[in-house]
Amino acid sequence: MVALKLIPHLLAWVGIVLVLLRGFPRSRSVITAVGVAGFALGVAGASILLRSYPGEISFGIIRGVVAGVFLLLWGVAVATIYRSTAREFQIFSGEKLVNAPGYAGSVAFLTSLIAGAVCVCRLPVIDGATLEFILLVLASVALSYALAYGAKAVEKFLPSAVTVSQPALIVAVVALLLFSSSSLIRLDIFSPLSMKVMKFAHDFVHQFFESMLIPDHLFIRTYLWGYIGLLFGKEVGFWGGLIIWFTPVVLILLAIRFEIMPSVAHIRQGAQRRKVLAAAIRERRYRLVIPLLALLIFAAAAYRSSFPSVEYWDPKPLPVLANEAGEIFIPRKGEIDLEDGKLHKYLFKQGGKEARFFVLLTPAGQLTVDLDACAICKPDGYGQAEGTVYCYYCKTLIPLETVGKPGGCNPVPIPFTVKEDGVHIDGMTMINIWNTTVQATTGTKGGGK
Amino acid sequence: MKRLLNAIWTVLSSRTLPPLVCGVFLLTYIGIAFGTDDTLIALMAFTRTSSVLVVLLALIPLNSLCRMLLETYRHHKRRRAVNCKEVETPYGLFDESVTVPALPTFAELEERLNSEGYRCRRTERTLAAWRGISLFPARMIFLAAVFCLFAGILISLTTRSSRRMNVIEGEPLPTAKGGGGLVERISLMKSSGAILDKDLIVEVAQSDAGDGRKIFGLYPPSLYRGYFVYPRYLWIASVIRFSAPDIQPAYEKQSALNIHPPGKEDRLEIPGSPYQIFISLVKPDDGSDPYMTGRITFLFKILKGKNLLFTGSVPTGGEFVQDGYRLAIPDSRRMVKTDFIQDYGVLLIWTAAILFICSGCVWLPVAVFLPRREMVFVREHDVINAFSRTEGRRRIHAGVFHEALDLLEARQSTNP
Repeated sequence: MVALKLIPHLLAWVGIVLVLLRGFPRSRSVITAVGVAGFALGVAGASILLRSYPGEISFGIIRGVVAGVFLLLWGVAVATIYRSTAREFQIFSGEKLVNAPGYAGSVAFLTSLIAGAVCVCRLPVIDGATLEFILLVLASVALSYALAYGAKAVEKFLPSAVTVSQPALIVAVVALLLFSSSSLIRLDIFSPLSMKVMKFAHDFVHQFFESMLIPDHLFIRTYLWGYIGLLFGKEVGFWGGLIIWFTPVVLILLAIRFEIMPSVAHIRQGAQRRKVLAAAIRERRYRLVIPLLALLIFAAAAYRSSFPSVEYWDPKPLPVLANEAGEIFIPRKGEIDLEDGKLHKYLFKQGGKEARFFVLLTPAGQLTVDLDACAICKPDGYGQAEGTVYCYYCKTLIPLETVGKPGGCNPVPIPFTVKEDGVHIDGMTMINIWNTTVQATTGTKGGGK
Repeated sequence: MKRLLNAIWTVLSSRTLPPLVCGVFLLTYIGIAFGTDDTLIALMAFTRTSSVLVVLLALIPLNSLCRMLLETYRHHKRRRAVNCKEVETPYGLFDESVTVPALPTFAELEERLNSEGYRCRRTERTLAAWRGISLFPARMIFLAAVFCLFAGILISLTTRSSRRMNVIEGEPLPTAKGGGGLVERISLMKSSGAILDKDLIVEVAQSDAGDGRKIFGLYPPSLYRGYFVYPRYLWIASVIRFSAPDIQPAYEKQSALNIHPPGKEDRLEIPGSPYQIFISLVKPDDGSDPYMTGRITFLFKILKGKNLLFTGSVPTGGEFVQDGYRLAIPDSRRMVKTDFIQDYGVLLIWTAAILFICSGCVWLPVAVFLPRREMVFVREHDVINAFSRTEGRRRIHAGVFHEALDLLEARQSTNP
């Protein structure tokens, strides 16, 4: 079963090796050897990291590296489009770097290192068994060796006309790395990116209104505020995320498609001129093949990120009431055991208003009471998966260790007191925080499921 | 020194500078995003305090100015070349240049280019041909818009000052130095406009300090002593009088209550006592807004510690008395929480928005329907230097240019 789950990661790495072999035709042996070493080292390094720092830190580091690679792609894409806009325009040609002896090897090593690290995140963490660790590394060496030489054999069958320019090589390699990481929900960067875009749109609208001295929603027509409210929706995060996701590859495609044709003004035969131009156009079309494939891989990665195959614990909210003093009481033990480590949802209604919240025992052994909503998304609520809670709206995973802390897509914490008998919460505080949160995230009163 | 100045000029007028600066800000944004969720606000605050980031941001408007100068200079030179007034050969001003053996006359070439729809100007040494309209004005407007936008952001970030004050009916307008005019009336009414749902009007009388009578609306914001008056929230300022058997003398204070619209609740703690009063507005049966009508009735809950003592309602001017407890609200006034903002960057940012729209409106039709295409042929001794440039329809123009060169060379070979 685990071996099956590894298939997308291994295929992605084979793709990377293929692209590198085609991109650096004079360094085939170096790429194969260094790629195998990089992959094995990535497996070993990530395995040690996951053993030493179990939990979110290790995944955060690897995800950060993947995000850094994506950022690098953005830089390359912008430079490429700028470079292509004028004949005399040169930023940094990079030709010296590309032709340097160690360049091909370094690229192969680094990308394989990351691919190996991503791959090992799919496997269960090995706890302290040195023999298992050694076996894992040896297996990774053997497997990567076989796959690299397989890729080398396949590459020979590819049409020689399909060439890979440097920007196309980078975009293809990054696309494959992102595809690999997107199949692991904790390494995926598309969903966090969408969430950040949604938060940015929210902050930007707020700051824009304040900076431009535009009246607040209180004074604006409901229909118009409804349209503005669209900017706070997850669709903005999703589509904004897609734009950021696809823009680098589209920029590189545009740079290739609209690059200025070679000057033929010095050729005095019309037929000869047309021949030169036709050859340039044909060659340009072939150079579009790899970035177009990368575009498809980017789309596949975004799809995998948007539709992860994970199941969640999502209990139905139980109705609760406040006593005369306006206090909600939830017993520690009873029909429900608050300390069983599961998420327990409640629905509090008072005077026509309602608030949904949950109680959870964190891994640190502390009870936490939080709204079933965050300060950013519409209040679709949370489900619980292994080691995390999951925002249904923006699909962000929140490690259990951080539940109870405010900020971002974390559930909004509610002040409460824990006594021997159970949890005590002020009803009005609950309603007020819910209303403030829901108003801020939806631009309306109430809402949610 | 000259080399240094040249290097500075090259950097400041480079097209790569704005994306590089934006890239630095993007990286800073990403870096901040790891530490806080309010990334945009944190970035703005960080930029305000970091002179490095301020200087970096200032490079963008400076770059726009330099680009305007550089592109105007190049446009002027090119125009002189096309008008056959340029004495020097216009190297570096065109997209493509080529040297071919020359014919002694341009007459046939002029005729040929005229038939292709180009307008021509000929001197003994030069032939210039052109058609379409230049995108230069649109480009200048665009650069001016970029200048205004980033200069506006820079000014706004570095100089904006804001004070939130309570503007209360019947009291002087709060200003930094005092002596603001009396707020005669605050009125809220339904708006008939397409954007605003309500109109808020704050009428301020002439002040002793010499300020004239002013009427502030919602938008566009008006200025008062150099500050934009930016109404934010509607509050009610009420005098609350409360006494209980264990509170003597009675508590009495004007309180600003955040209770609009009806349903919103505010808490008033009686200092030095266990009492707290929760107050909200009664929603009238006819659905009217008490802030608009001025008929204000309050719902209240009186708590002693966590124990609820009484609930009820009391209108402005009325009182509630029971078991030695007394709650009275003798006076209520409309109040607007208002930001007094000094920020002249706002004007530049709006100007930028208008300029961007103008630029787009000029650019789009010109680029689509009438792009500028130019070619210049300059005779030098036995050769002709030919230059070509286009802002659209590149392939067709290149075809005409290449055929013109073919013609020149063909005539050269037939007339040795």
